[in-house]
Amino acid sequence: MRARSRVALCAAVAILAGLTAMAAPPVELIVWHSYRGGEAAAFEKVVANYNAAKVASGVKIITLPVPYDALADKITAAVPRGKGPDIFIFAQDRLGGWVEAGKTIEPIDFYVDKATRDRFLPSTVEAMTYRGTLYALPFNYKVITMVYNKKLLTKVPKTTGELVTIAKSLTDASTGRFGVAYWYSNFYYHAILMNAFGGGAFDAAGKPILDCEGNAKSLDLLLKWVDKDKFLPAEPSTALVTALFNDGKAAIVFSGPWFLGEIAKGIDYGLAPLPTVDEAGGKPMRPWMTVEGVYIAAGSKNKDVAYDFVKYVTDVEAAKIMAVEGRQTPANKLVYNDPQVGNDPILKVFRQQVETAVPMPNLAEMSMMWTPASSAMAAIVQKSATVKAALDQAQKEVVESVKLLRKQQ
Amino acid sequence: MSQKPSHRRRFAAGLVAALVVGVGLSHWTLVRARVQENRARAERVALVSLNALVDIVERAGGVGDSVRRAVAVFARGSSALTTIRVVAFDGLSLEASTASADGGDKAAPRRLAREEKPLYDQGQRLRAAVETNHQEGGARKEEIEIAAMPGGGLALAAPVTKEGAVVGLVAVETTPVPSPPRTSWLAPLAAVLIPALAFLVLAVPIAERRWVLAVVAATLLLGTMVAYGRYAFATMAGDRRITERTVAGEVTAEAARASSVVSELSLGDPRTLHPGSWDADLFRRPLELIAPDGTVHEAKLAESLAGAAGRTRQVFGAFAVLALALLAFVGFGSATRLGATLRKHRQAYTYTFPALFGMLLLVFLPFLYGVVLSFSDMSLYTSQAPMGDLFSKLWVGLKNFTDILGDFHVATSTAGGLVWNYQNIYWTLGITVIWTVANVAYGVGMGLFLALILNTKGLLGRPYYRVLFILPWAMPNYITALIWKGMFHQQFGVFNQIIQMCGGTPVSWFEKTSTSLFACIATNAWLSVPFMMVISLGALQSISADLYEAARVDGATRWQQFRSITLPSLKPALVPAIILSVIWTFNMFNIIYLVSAGEPGHSTEILITQAYKFAFEQYRYGYAAAYSMVIFAILLAYGVWQNKVTKATEGI
Repeated sequence: MRARSRVALCAAVAILAGLTAMAAPPVELIVWHSYRGGEAAAFEKVVANYNAAKVASGVKIITLPVPYDALADKITAAVPRGKGPDIFIFAQDRLGGWVEAGKTIEPIDFYVDKATRDRFLPSTVEAMTYRGTLYALPFNYKVITMVYNKKLLTKVPKTTGELVTIAKSLTDASTGRFGVAYWYSNFYYHAILMNAFGGGAFDAAGKPILDCEGNAKSLDLLLKWVDKDKFLPAEPSTALVTALFNDGKAAIVFSGPWFLGEIAKGIDYGLAPLPTVDEAGGKPMRPWMTVEGVYIAAGSKNKDVAYDFVKYVTDVEAAKIMAVEGRQTPANKLVYNDPQVGNDPILKVFRQQVETAVPMPNLAEMSMMWTPASSAMAAIVQKSATVKAALDQAQKEVVESVKLLRKQQ
Repeated sequence: MSQKPSHRRRFAAGLVAALVVGVGLSHWTLVRARVQENRARAERVALVSLNALVDIVERAGGVGDSVRRAVAVFARGSSALTTIRVVAFDGLSLEASTASADGGDKAAPRRLAREEKPLYDQGQRLRAAVETNHQEGGARKEEIEIAAMPGGGLALAAPVTKEGAVVGLVAVETTPVPSPPRTSWLAPLAAVLIPALAFLVLAVPIAERRWVLAVVAATLLLGTMVAYGRYAFATMAGDRRITERTVAGEVTAEAARASSVVSELSLGDPRTLHPGSWDADLFRRPLELIAPDGTVHEAKLAESLAGAAGRTRQVFGAFAVLALALLAFVGFGSATRLGATLRKHRQAYTYTFPALFGMLLLVFLPFLYGVVLSFSDMSLYTSQAPMGDLFSKLWVGLKNFTDILGDFHVATSTAGGLVWNYQNIYWTLGITVIWTVANVAYGVGMGLFLALILNTKGLLGRPYYRVLFILPWAMPNYITALIWKGMFHQQFGVFNQIIQMCGGTPVSWFEKTSTSLFACIATNAWLSVPFMMVISLGALQSISADLYEAARVDGATRWQQFRSITLPSLKPALVPAIILSVIWTFNMFNIIYLVSAGEPGHSTEILITQAYKFAFEQYRYGYAAAYSMVIFAILLAYGVWQNKVTKATEGI
């Protein structure tokens, strides 16, 4: 209301004064994000560049950092009631829920032309698409890749066959040394194998497929690694994996960019794409990808202007700042043509890895998947249930929950 | 009290108040129902036109000149639809429009302008709805959107399909909805006055016999409510019949018009039109209330009316219960007493008002919202549904409660023995009880034990011990929980290291229900000892030393002293602490959520963590609210019982 009256007032003043050049009314857009440290500094720089370029038109972007844990709930509570920001940045996991609940995020198909769409990695655009409609422009992505200790590993494995041989030679259970350490009992981490076998959580039509053949095969392979090849630690967790790697007791870790910050100073590490899976006919391991998108809030009064910013912030110039200074892995594929980004030893590997990545489902029902799937994973790894029984049980639970939510009229 | 209160007068006042509330609510509901029926009638009429139009647009191929011609011809004869617009998704184009704003250089066909984005988005929404319903093999999302326009007309939009795919939309606007019929005020007025006068007359011979007065007043009230309910439903049914006749007329008229358009533009055989399917719901499922020949399907209508009668009975029944409660409240003198205390302690109530107001806003209103939610079927997918419509399918009555409490499948016996159903509330309740009892018992026992030791006179370094023992309490409990979870790690946890040092095999703690629950209880026990210790220590220090001295003089042993002096003196401090502790532990979310997370397979979940999972993992808000109400009821019952027991023992 206040903004509108201010707009009206400014317009009136401008007309009265006959100032045609300065006639554009000031528009302030609020952006919510959850960046901290280097990412926040880089983002502020991008926003400052945009504001500087838009001084003449009176558009000003104001950023508001919100703690990550609180951001999604704040958006869910504020935006449908006409409060909150014009633009916000968040991952795709809440997208489906926001669309189903309604009045939260603005579809942007109408704005997006082919050139804009084509500048992104296709899978990141897919992550921002729900039921055939695009709801945000992808900003950056995170995927699991292979991190290895350069001192311990002389040859980087390209296939699971090589991985097993190398890992076995580096494992010594009596001294607590392991060839590979990753949170394999976690559904998210296990997805690298599951997706390689063509399994997953939901099929294209949104039906749960936990009990599918690909999932079962991927778990059989995991059990072989745990029981027969024995190069993995028991009861893994992020803390354990980090500790093992930092103590030089794990040669290879499968983890994402969040892990790099945890690595101790003295460790000389390298990154490489995940190996291909011989047991799945040489198909690559396919990690789940989380994509952060820039959304326009459904309640925004200046959606056209907001889209202009969304487009700018996902363009090459901004993506380069976010990559080089913010250490993000941009979803804009054109930015990797820039040598400063394309030749970066870390960004380069993530860019290679994303080619095999699968966007994590953005359905609201995904939240029902975690508990049953984790229980099944735990039961399988601890041998308290067979692969088939555990997956069938989990599938049954998910199907039941999904049915209760998607109640028919 | 100078004057003895009159039962007769109170019941008369109570009856009038109850009649005003009961009949008032019923009348308000009737008026709203008639407004809704009026709107529903307009919607159904508009839908018939829209569906006929969509049929013709689809026959014309959805795009191009043939669509523009078809729309123009269709619009010529239509009186109800003021504007028609057809959009094709491919190329974001406006294919046809009869809107006056779309003339001149803005005439169709053209690309949609930026300000027409809502139209395109609506089309995409409908496409997604059609695809979703198709994939899920049901009807969950509305495939036709209806909205009220500022001028009183309706805006409708329907998808245009081509070979099974949605390729565009037809959006129409209608003339304003006719104003709803007036509902006379005489009926409700009579429904209040007649029984009230009847009561006054009847009360003369009854005089001051309280129960007779109560029965007469209640009978009059219920009789009135039933009679008014019947009148209201008859009115609603009459409205409904008018609707069916109107829609039947519209179907016949549209059928004639559509077939003339189809033959004029040669869009196929007019006999392949299905006017009977145009009277459909928002999921494009034919209602089948109108026969193909344009007559009302009486049997179907009767069936539909019977369903409506059931819902009406429920709503009016609820009003009757409310009115009856009001009658009892006033009639039996509770209202008078409440008024009297309010007057008598006016000052006290004034002082407490700010606190009361704060409580109302921060505690009771959210709680009431929870109560209301527990009777609904609210989920993530229906969170935008209006809660004001009492007849809507959102309200499921006690279904959530019967689903929760009526599910007795705690276990199924198979060849391999019993298989427990860990999602069942009785299993979870059992775990919660074990969890609570174990924690409180250990907390009290260990706390008291440590307090007795610390209370020893002349103990060296007592202040240091005290600080040390209170430390677990001072730490945020989620940090404690995470540390303990680490200590229970199979390979690297300290407990398994000790077991291995002693030559045992390491235990996988979170694999079995028993060990997993043990890990949680051990963590929480560690957390709950300091509180009990501090309470006991405080109480111990307030016991006079003279008592022990006298006991020693009388030759009592240490054990006798403990039983007869220490324990009774501790009771006033310990009992409230135990009550509090039971309630805290019962709802101790953090420890279970962080240590075992319900592993294995939800078996170590307690009620509160289970409620959380229903609300925030499965998004079933109504069900989770009902689940919380069950938890509340259990704790309330426990509180009342505990209060009684402690009061009873206080006298001894």
